[in-house]
Amino acid sequence: MAQRKIAVKICVGTACFVQGGADLLLYEDFLEPSLLERCVIEGTGCLGGCKVQDAKSGAPFVEVDGNVHANVTVDRLRQLIKEAIDA
Amino acid sequence: MNGIFIDVDYSQTYKAGQRIGGDVFLQSKEEKGNRVVCTLSDGLGSGVKANVLANLTAHMAHKLSFGPMHLTNSAKIIMNTLPVCNERKISYSTFTIADVRSLEEKGIAVQLVEYDNPPSMRFSRDLPVPFEVNSIDLKREGAFKEETIRQSSFTMQEGDRLIMCTDGVMQSGMGKTFPLGWRQSGVSSFISELIGRHPEISSRELAAAITRKAYALDGYAAKDDITCAVLYVRRPRRTLVVTGPPFTKERDDLLGRKIREFDGRKIVSGGTTAQIVSRLFGAKVSVDLSCWSRDVPPASKMEGMDLVTEGMLTLSKVATALEQKIPLHNMPNDAVRRFVSILLDSDQVSFIVGTKINEAHQDPSIPVEIGIRRTIISRIRRALEQHYLKETILEYI
Repeated sequence: MAQRKIAVKICVGTACFVQGGADLLLYEDFLEPSLLERCVIEGTGCLGGCKVQDAKSGAPFVEVDGNVHANVTVDRLRQLIKEAIDA
Repeated sequence: MNGIFIDVDYSQTYKAGQRIGGDVFLQSKEEKGNRVVCTLSDGLGSGVKANVLANLTAHMAHKLSFGPMHLTNSAKIIMNTLPVCNERKISYSTFTIADVRSLEEKGIAVQLVEYDNPPSMRFSRDLPVPFEVNSIDLKREGAFKEETIRQSSFTMQEGDRLIMCTDGVMQSGMGKTFPLGWRQSGVSSFISELIGRHPEISSRELAAAITRKAYALDGYAAKDDITCAVLYVRRPRRTLVVTGPPFTKERDDLLGRKIREFDGRKIVSGGTTAQIVSRLFGAKVSVDLSCWSRDVPPASKMEGMDLVTEGMLTLSKVATALEQKIPLHNMPNDAVRRFVSILLDSDQVSFIVGTKINEAHQDPSIPVEIGIRRTIISRIRRALEQHYLKETILEYI
C-alpha cells in the first residue's frame, strides 16, 4: 500500500520570509531523503498567524497536515515532520 | 494614449575607426502623443564633418516639418544652408522625414519625404507593401546635380511598419558577400523573414537585428555608418500592477471589477492582495518554489494573472533595480527579474494601490526595513517615467 504523504506548507509571506522562512525554503538541503520522500512540501501565502498578537506565536509559520505551527526553525521542521510520520 | 501606439526606435553602428556618426536620427512626439516626426539624415563623408552636416540637416528638416512651409521650399532652404565640403567642393546631405499623425480609428497618416536616402520600406505584418511615390524636381539654382525629392502619403494600420535605412545598410557586404552589397531586396526579405518568425518584434529589436546583420556582412568593420530606424503601429502594451488590500473590505469587489476589465498584462504583488484576488476570481494561488532568491520570496501562479509576487520586499527590490538601471541579465532568476521584465516590455503601466496597512510589518523585531507601499510605488513610477520613458497611471483604492 502506498504510504500517505505528509502535507507541509511553508509560509512565504513577507513577515515569515524575513524572519527565518527563507531558511526553511532550503528544505532540500537539510531534510534527510528518507523524510523528504514522505512529504509534499509547498509554499503558501500568508497563513494569518503573524497578525495574532501573542507572545508565543511568531513567524515563521508552517502548516503540517492542516495544523499551523509558529516559530519554526530548521530543527523544528524536521521534528514536526518526524512526529507527523509517527502519528 | 488611445487604442493605438506608435513605437519608434533606431539602431546605429559607426563606420569602423570613427567615434562619431555621420548618420543622425531624430524623433519627437507631441505631448498629446498623436503626432510623431522622425528624421534620418546621412551627411557627406564620415566622422565629425559628416556628423555636422547630418545634424544640421536633420535638425532643420525636423523643425521645418512642424511649420506651415511646403516641403520643397524647406528642402531648398536646407540645401542652400549646408556648408561646402572642402575636398569635394559640394554641399550634400541626404534626408528622410516621416511625419506621422494618429487619426484615431482610421489609422495612422504618414507623410513621407525622402531625398537620396534608400527608399523607405513599408510592411504589413511580414509582407512588403508598395506605395505610390511622387517625384518632385527641385530645380534649385546652383545645384551641382539633379535634385529629386520623393514624396508620398499613405495610411498605416495596426501591425504595419515603416523602415528607414541609410546606404550603410543597403551597401553592407559589398565586394565581400555580395557584389553590390546587401541591397534593398536582400534587406526586405531579411525583414520579412524576421517578422514572420517574431510577429510582435519591437522597433528596438528589429532595428538592432538589421544593423547587426549589416555589420556582420561588412565583416564586423563597418564600411560606412549603418543606421536603421523602425516605426511600428501597434496596440499599446499595457500592464496593471495591483498591490495592497483595499482600505475597506467593501471595495474588494470594485478591485475585482477593475482587474477583470483591464486589457493587458496583470501583476498582483502582495500575499494578502493575492488572497483577495484569488477569492474574487475563484482561482487558486500556487507558490512556485523554483523561482526565488535570498532577498526575494518566491513568485506564485494564478490563472488569469501573468505574475503573482510577494509585496513589499519584491516591490522595493523592483524600485532599486529600475532606479539603478540594473540590466535584466545581471539579475538572479527571481520574482524581481520577472516583474522588471514585464514592466520594461510595457508602454503604459497602471498601478492600483490598496492603502490598508499590514500590522505584521510594523513589528519592530522584523530584521529588515519594510517601507511604506505608497512611497515605494512612487519610486517605481518615477524610475519608469524618467529612465524608461514609460507612461504610468496611479489609483488608490
